[in-house]
Amino acid sequence: MKPVEALHAAGWRAVLELGFRADDERTWLARRRHSGPLVVQRSFYPEDARLCQMVIVHPPGGIAGGDGLEIKISSEERASVQLTTPGAGKWYRGFGRSAQQTVGIAVASGAMCEWLPQENIVFDGAAAQMSLQVDLADDAAFCGWDFTCLGRPQSDQYFVSGCLRQVIDIRRNGRPLFREQACIDATDPFRAAPSCLADNCSYGSMLVAGKQVSDDVIEAARDALGDNANAAVTRLEEVLIARWVGNSVEEGRNLFTGLWSALRPWYADRIAVPPRIWAT
Amino acid sequence: MSVEPNKYRSEMSIEPSALLKLLRIASPALPVGAFSYSQGLEWAVECGVVTDEDTAGQWIGSLLSGSIARFEMPMLAAFYRVWSDNDSALAADLNEDYLASRETAELRSESIQMGGALLAVLQSDGQHEPAVLDAVGAIDHVVFPNVFAFAAATWNLQLEDVLTTYAWSWLENQVTAAMKLVPLGQRAGQRLLAGMSPACAEAMRTAVSLPKDGWSNFAPLFAIASSRHETQYTRLFRS
Repeated sequence: MKPVEALHAAGWRAVLELGFRADDERTWLARRRHSGPLVVQRSFYPEDARLCQMVIVHPPGGIAGGDGLEIKISSEERASVQLTTPGAGKWYRGFGRSAQQTVGIAVASGAMCEWLPQENIVFDGAAAQMSLQVDLADDAAFCGWDFTCLGRPQSDQYFVSGCLRQVIDIRRNGRPLFREQACIDATDPFRAAPSCLADNCSYGSMLVAGKQVSDDVIEAARDALGDNANAAVTRLEEVLIARWVGNSVEEGRNLFTGLWSALRPWYADRIAVPPRIWAT
Repeated sequence: MSVEPNKYRSEMSIEPSALLKLLRIASPALPVGAFSYSQGLEWAVECGVVTDEDTAGQWIGSLLSGSIARFEMPMLAAFYRVWSDNDSALAADLNEDYLASRETAELRSESIQMGGALLAVLQSDGQHEPAVLDAVGAIDHVVFPNVFAFAAATWNLQLEDVLTTYAWSWLENQVTAAMKLVPLGQRAGQRLLAGMSPACAEAMRTAVSLPKDGWSNFAPLFAIASSRHETQYTRLFRS
């Protein structure tokens, strides 16, 4: 067995921990620990010194059966952080082994964190487990989205075997605000049901928790989504939830980028400046 | 003269007093306002996803085997178990989990309104000591399945019976809503109920056996329908 194959047989573990700190003028990366293939480039300041942007890179480019990725982010008091990824996360056929990605984001009082990664593509035969756990303190703000594409229909590769588990859990001071857990088996007829995905292969959701979700905010969010019948917005107490279902992740991302632009002045006191990496 | 054993009474037969309690909490006459909620079905009709008996059956049946069997009812079973152990602190924690799992604003207020209404029924029907009711009454925004499970556990009803009853009530309410909205006739309604009854039993079996990491409240087009219903121009139903 070649060394690289041996590495894959054991599963590739990667951990990345980032801690952000801030003073009155700026936010900076104060702590970084990583092992395995998960890295960040340098800090970017595309808007001003108070918002630190980081691009999280997974050099292997895909996640195979047995792999485990763990990302831990902490935004300390007053820090403003924006996290994104340079490309889609590809979940390869697992050959009977599951792969895992856990993202934990802790946001302290007065801090703001944006988690805006590119989509996950779940290949046929993958057994993927993804979890996003967000812990907010007091008045911390969070905006995050995720997009998933089951299979690669453009290449006539459909998701006909495998399974997917996805959990999104948002808490404030330990109290649950939002929790969705999806358990999708490729062979489950429920996936194609009119109440689930019908004949669509992609879906996404965007969640914002910060200030009170007023009627005006909900109204602005509805306007931003327009009359796309496969998208909608609602609120659970203090969480704004947008959902979209479709066949092209690009459509969903365009829709949610518009929504993000409409909402950012509300939750972050900032106008939306799309990260340059999205355009490449 | 010897007495023949009653050949019509099997070991599996439910106690008449328990059966009567189940019938009562499953009855559409229970004043909790269930009839005023369609859970997104009104939008599904409005936008042309549900147009007739077949598509009504697909919509309702998919939810029954989907998030009802895989989330709502496992959650009901969890509520039942904590009330059987008389653990009101855990019942309060589960209540928060349930609220956080609601897909939309409408579905959240529906569960809170119906929970409060069922609690009011229990407070006035003379079947519980007031002190016993304090445990569930003290829970902030107590949700419908929590109060339902409380009643069932304190009446010592069997979990399987409670789950099947709950699934039936949900199904009957959805079919009744479809009859008003599509609209469908009485016979079509009965065909839907008969056709989906086995799915109620299947949902009960799923709910008692599904491990917690297999629970799933993922039904995005349902959640979108319920969200869109929140601004539907003319509507008969509150969800």
